[in-house]
Amino acid sequence: MESTISFDLVSPEQLVFNDKVGMIIVPGKEGDIGVLPGHSKLLSSLRPGRVMVYGEDKHLLQSFFVSGGFVEINPEKCIVLAEEVFEMSSLDKNKIEKQVQELENETSNELKQQYLIAKLKIEALESTHYEKI
Amino acid sequence: MPSLKDLKTKITSVSSTKKITSAMKMVAASKLRRSQEKAESARPYSSRLEEMLLSLASSRIAGEGVIRLLTGTGKQERYLVIPVTADRGLCGGFNSNINRETTKYIRSLENEGKNTSLLTIGKKSRDFFNRIMKDKIIESFIDLGSTGAGYDTAMQISNNIQSLYFDDQFDVCVLIFNKFKSAIVQEVTQQQLIPLDVANKRTEDDEDVKEERKDNSIYTYEPDEASILQDLLPKNISIQIFKILLESNAGEQGARMVAMDNATRNAGEMIDGLTLRYNRTRQAFITKELIEIISGAESV
Repeated sequence: MESTISFDLVSPEQLVFNDKVGMIIVPGKEGDIGVLPGHSKLLSSLRPGRVMVYGEDKHLLQSFFVSGGFVEINPEKCIVLAEEVFEMSSLDKNKIEKQVQELENETSNELKQQYLIAKLKIEALESTHYEKI
Repeated sequence: MPSLKDLKTKITSVSSTKKITSAMKMVAASKLRRSQEKAESARPYSSRLEEMLLSLASSRIAGEGVIRLLTGTGKQERYLVIPVTADRGLCGGFNSNINRETTKYIRSLENEGKNTSLLTIGKKSRDFFNRIMKDKIIESFIDLGSTGAGYDTAMQISNNIQSLYFDDQFDVCVLIFNKFKSAIVQEVTQQQLIPLDVANKRTEDDEDVKEERKDNSIYTYEPDEASILQDLLPKNISIQIFKILLESNAGEQGARMVAMDNATRNAGEMIDGLTLRYNRTRQAFITKELIEIISGAESV
């Protein structure tokens, strides 16, 4: 069996990531999904969270925050479609904390959604899950 | 006959117009390249999303709520028409084609006894329909950015359309926009956004895609087909609008490039004509003066 799987991370504005990797962990709606080469065919929606990309030797290459979307998996390929993609290292914790405070008391649906996403971003920044496998 | 000074002023003014139009042409050409790149990079996302949607839509899930984006309200009485134009003019027939087509479409719908309303995108359609059918406009979106709108703008528009739909304000939503054929050709196109025109899309697909879609049946869906579809449908509306905004923007730049190229050429021709006249007048003037001097000298 192949030891790598091709992985595409696509946002509406651009192709963010496109390479062969060893493993990917995506935040599926009903729980995190680890994708290895040869994974069975699966289509799932995503919840806001981290997409982690690992090399062939299972060390963490890159991690992204996605605000939701979809993943399509087949044995050779994994495609994540996400509306918003941020590289984890590009997120500024102080800025987001400020945003959380600003949005905390908003009542409109859209702003509430933003508030939730900002909170999840902080959670993702603080989390160390899956960093070493 | 105009004096030499008048001609001179005219030549100067035409040549400064020419300078402006040729500069605008260059700007449009470079913007065109950028908006084409943007449209290009949006393609992987939208084509993937569409594929997923089509494979799901064929599984015939009926239900309430979001699914209505796919199945429709069951009526075809009230139409929401969305003309997509640019914010700026000076791009040939780009905007007026859309406005004309939209007016025609609305008139024909009304002749059939349907109810219509308008949601305009771009300053030019807003201004136009504000003049002739102000009462129909529900909402207007302007300021789309000079090299194509961002995804957030598309999302805003799409949220707006969806909330109107779920408020039961219309049954069918049709977009009228300029499809980007090539840098010099745009085609006015109608696209039905709600309910989703699955049957129509399917016939457009070539055989390869159909083959590929067949083995989609062995996909596992998580959580399940219906809930993925619920997430997918609203996103599809946004991405469709995003795609159309980008396409329309590329078309606008292309149209402007062509219009400005023509204007530059016309200005050049006009300058040639005026220069010729200027020189003739000057020559005639000199000849006249010479004759006067000679006949004056002869009479002495």
